[in-house]
Amino acid sequence: MNGYLGSRALVRPIIVFAGLLAGWQAIVWASGVPPYILPGPAAVVAAFRKGADLIAQNAGTTIVEIVAGFAIGAAVGAVSALAMSYLRPARRWLLPVLVVSQAVPVFALAPVLTLWLGYGLESKIAMAVLIIYFPVTAAFYDGLRRTEPGWMDLAHVMNASRWAELRHIRLPAALPALGSGLRVAAAVAPIGAVVGEWVGSSAGLGYLMLHANARVQTDLMFAALFVLAIIGCVFYFTVDSAVRRLVPWQAESHPEEEFR
Amino acid sequence: MKKIMLSLAACLWLGNALPAAAADKKTVLLDWFVNPDHGPLFVALERGYFREAGLDVEFKGPADPNDPPKLVAAGKADLAISYQPQLHMQADRDLPLVRVATLVATPLNSLVVLKDGPVKQIGDLKGRTVGFSVGGFEDAMLGAMLEKHGLSLKDVKLVNVNFSLSPALVSGKVDAVIGAYRNFELNQLDILKKPGRAFYVEEEGVPAYDELIVVANRKDIAKPQIAAFVGALERGVQFLVNHPDESWSLFIKERKELNDELNKRAWRDTLPRFALRPAALDRKRYEAFAAFLKKQGLIEKTPALETFAVELE
Repeated sequence: MNGYLGSRALVRPIIVFAGLLAGWQAIVWASGVPPYILPGPAAVVAAFRKGADLIAQNAGTTIVEIVAGFAIGAAVGAVSALAMSYLRPARRWLLPVLVVSQAVPVFALAPVLTLWLGYGLESKIAMAVLIIYFPVTAAFYDGLRRTEPGWMDLAHVMNASRWAELRHIRLPAALPALGSGLRVAAAVAPIGAVVGEWVGSSAGLGYLMLHANARVQTDLMFAALFVLAIIGCVFYFTVDSAVRRLVPWQAESHPEEEFR
Repeated sequence: MKKIMLSLAACLWLGNALPAAAADKKTVLLDWFVNPDHGPLFVALERGYFREAGLDVEFKGPADPNDPPKLVAAGKADLAISYQPQLHMQADRDLPLVRVATLVATPLNSLVVLKDGPVKQIGDLKGRTVGFSVGGFEDAMLGAMLEKHGLSLKDVKLVNVNFSLSPALVSGKVDAVIGAYRNFELNQLDILKKPGRAFYVEEEGVPAYDELIVVANRKDIAKPQIAAFVGALERGVQFLVNHPDESWSLFIKERKELNDELNKRAWRDTLPRFALRPAALDRKRYEAFAAFLKKQGLIEKTPALETFAVELE
């Protein structure tokens, strides 16, 4: 096992990335599309250099929103899943909430949330929490329900208490599922933060993009979008590697590698 | 025999007239969903002025008010309703756009506070929160207004409230909003029983400008259809100011959803603001506004006026 941060694995994304950039520049050159519709990578790099401070400052705000939203959303989601699997009333009452939290489009809810929570960090974090809550809870709850029956029988035979059963069997068995939920959550968390910034804010990458769009600074907008994508990727891979490290008992394999 | 000749002549005449009647299809992008600011356009449409000018005009509302000029610049639409301040910024960034007519000849933008709130004058804004809907130049406008009262942008906290100007103000999340339309938000607040007080930007240090203009792509401005459109628009505004009530009926004829108290009031308040000579261009005013934007740091160069605003021949 080389780990996906091995040198070869690092080179590949860079090649893919360079290829995408070249393709993008080629499209800009070939089609002659004006820069206010689609700026080329060179223009975006220039905008990035010119506005580095501005972008960094706003990126900081967005990162705080994403991380805080993720932490709170994951914690609330994990607790909800535990409550739902152990308490019948919680299951009955929380399940509809869980579904509604996902069925209501955040974009529709965002303006109301900002009116309630103000235009500061709180409303963005709330939006991220709302978006993260569902994947975490749903995945962890599924994990908790699907403990291997043989292990549970073993626990019964050994007269394990409910706590011991949770601590030693259900929880470890469900953590890989929680890990999957957290990975999805990490990937969607930026959406919550940016939607929040879109409807009401005074800082953040979403705010910067809105501004740049209104001022026909398409290059700056792309630069901000690009930084947002990088933040999203870094956040995802950080969560992914943390999950692998925390749940080492989860064996991993890919179909093509199985019969070597 | 005479009859036959007559009907033959009629046929010939019809035959000649038909191709001309197959009107030219033109897509006009509105700056915003249909509202009383667009009065003259829809009066002209309902009165058939565009059709008589040989145009088959279709109006479309955008998802984002910043899109229409870009789409016209990219050749995806024929005309767009946009804003003069934005036009200056677009010209600065080399978008091939040219103003060909004015729809609303005064600013509509204003700084609005609640009448019974703590802000009685602009100077009271020190240390307070001001909401705005990102149009790209609200901070410049507010900066000029504050400057007149011995404050600067550093003395207030600016918050983007997107399209929730009135809700943000009424809920007390912000102390003032910039970018509120005097003909619209003031009435909205009044209907909510939270009357507002407006500070008019052109009275508080911002040079007067045209709130709504019609822009075309530079490569199209010599086309006779553009002049025909502006001519029909002028007939529309003439009818509207002469027959405001009948015009209101025409306006809501195909748009029943607009028939409410807010739009009725906005209609009345918008009447005196329409450009009575839509084609006319006030060069001095445009130049003064460009100088203002340059001073505020929103544009870098001041392109020659005739490259982005013309009076059609």
